[in-house]
Amino acid sequence: MSGAVDDTPVLRVEDLSVEFRVRGAWWPAVRGLSFDVARNETLALVGESGCGKSITALSVMGLVPRPQGRVGSGRILFEGRDVAAMREAELERLRGDRMAMIFQEPMTSLNPVLSVGFQVSEALRVHRAIDAAAADAEALRLLEEVKIPSARRRFADYPHQFSGGMRQRVMIAMAIALKPALLLADEPTTALDVTIQAQVLGLLADLKSAQGMSMLFITHNLGVVAAIADRVAVMYAGEIVEIAPVARIFSGPVHPYTEALFRAIPRIDREEQSLDAIGGQVPPIDRMPPGCRFAPRCPARRPSCEASSQALVEVAPGHSVRCGVRAPAGARAA
Amino acid sequence: MIWYVAKRLLAAMPTLVAVLTVVFVIVRIIPGDPALTVLGDQATPQALAALREKLGIDKPLLAQYFDFITAALTGDLGRSLVSGRPVIQEVVAVLPHTLDLTISSLVLGTALGVPLGVWAALRRNRLADYVIRIVSLVGLSFPVFVSGIFLLMVFSLHYRLFPVIGTSNLADLGDRTWKLVLPTITLGLVMVAYITRVTRSAMLQVLSEDYVRTARAKGVPARLVIRRHALRNALIPVVTVVGLYLGINIGNSVLTEIVFNRPGLGKVIVTALNQRDYAMLQGLMVIYCFLIVVTNLLTDLAYGLIDPRVKQA
Repeated sequence: MSGAVDDTPVLRVEDLSVEFRVRGAWWPAVRGLSFDVARNETLALVGESGCGKSITALSVMGLVPRPQGRVGSGRILFEGRDVAAMREAELERLRGDRMAMIFQEPMTSLNPVLSVGFQVSEALRVHRAIDAAAADAEALRLLEEVKIPSARRRFADYPHQFSGGMRQRVMIAMAIALKPALLLADEPTTALDVTIQAQVLGLLADLKSAQGMSMLFITHNLGVVAAIADRVAVMYAGEIVEIAPVARIFSGPVHPYTEALFRAIPRIDREEQSLDAIGGQVPPIDRMPPGCRFAPRCPARRPSCEASSQALVEVAPGHSVRCGVRAPAGARAA
Repeated sequence: MIWYVAKRLLAAMPTLVAVLTVVFVIVRIIPGDPALTVLGDQATPQALAALREKLGIDKPLLAQYFDFITAALTGDLGRSLVSGRPVIQEVVAVLPHTLDLTISSLVLGTALGVPLGVWAALRRNRLADYVIRIVSLVGLSFPVFVSGIFLLMVFSLHYRLFPVIGTSNLADLGDRTWKLVLPTITLGLVMVAYITRVTRSAMLQVLSEDYVRTARAKGVPARLVIRRHALRNALIPVVTVVGLYLGINIGNSVLTEIVFNRPGLGKVIVTALNQRDYAMLQGLMVIYCFLIVVTNLLTDLAYGLIDPRVKQA
């Protein structure tokens, strides 16, 4: 109230575990996950398919699919309130208003039997006491803001009359309708071709700076990370293995998995064109190794890695790594 | 909209002509001389010849065919061999009874089946779902003549709440409704069971769709997500099934009409069969096919109302 800068993070996830039921037993898909997203910051969650990125975003929204999934333990503090402990009615008030989400599949994420204009205005109608005409006017403005060509004429059109890129813009318009404090973007550009991808990323960056919005940006595309993120959290098998500011992780990745991810990107500025795929597979959820989860695929593996689980150790301010070999506990670097 | 209907009706013409052709062939293949059937084996050859000429069955087959098609397309389906009255007249006299029964059982089936199906889907694998699934399976397995007779015994004979005989005075709306209750329940319960099962499986599928998650992510309250986002999409397969079943139901009403002694298309058909009234049967087949074509058209129109993707095509 004193006018001091509010530095509490918009989102603080503490020791989160999200579990799924496989053959009668609950197994964590996400385990011991902790991270913050500050105001006006973009945190990128990076990792292979199935590493728990999307589940993390869904648990923040309170949308973990039931009854096969549940938040097992931990807290998800959104603007200071624990989302994981909220009742559905409270969550409904937050969703689409203070926090919003863009999904990966623009082709299936819009309702085929409702007009695009209505779907954009729906969040306004639900959360604000405004009449239909005002909601429609605002929805039209949003469609223009995300640069839908001849938005007025296309307002009453249905999703099947839009291309994939246009549908993703509609999704973005829906998500930003009420100027959320936090936008969760789950691979919003993966289904789009490269030029459209660049346009959508540019649009999100503009919106972020214009509205002071925070973003949790999920992707497996490191090129996208470089373009949009402030900080990066690399996830492997449901755990964060490395978290650092974006420049740092690109210049000096520490965890062997992060290194392997960078080696797997094709580079046009280098002579040699051999891509290093990461050998092996992510272990299934009900057969995780007891020690480091990456150990079976790790080139820097030592016998001790497979014995006990690794702790996330800070190697530099804002840069933490979960690796007993590269960042042993108690050996903090300057 | 009007154009769409006109186009669809026009597209149904080849179907109707094909049906007429099949009906024509079937009736000619059936052994026996219609004139002999009508006049009996004591009839004089002159009388038989005169009747054949009157019925037009003395002409060459091809000529008969063209006469039949042109007459049928102008709405003339011939005359009953027994009563001598035009087939159309006989049908129009009983059609309201059949339509009453078919439509009221459809309304009952939809009014109960859709909410029950939605409820079962939302309570998947819990008590309500199991009960609804078992009861609907029982409902589907019960033949109409068993449930009909059971209802008659309980509500007409024991409690004397409803009449045993279902012939009603069409002009008296109260009488018409009162006598419709038990037959509607009999035929409607099968419909309820059927629609419940289809709605349940359609809802389960739709509830796992991405756009339902999108709606929830917007903060749309759960009840609105179900009604506006899920149910409207789930109704698309329901309409398909109901449309198909409506055609079958017109046929199913035969048993109900017999159990409750109601007039209707079903009874007219059975009577025509017993009396070997070929002209009548021929006309009735054509009318049934026409009703099915109309039902399909109504189904397609219902699609257009629910699913915007249909209008494009």
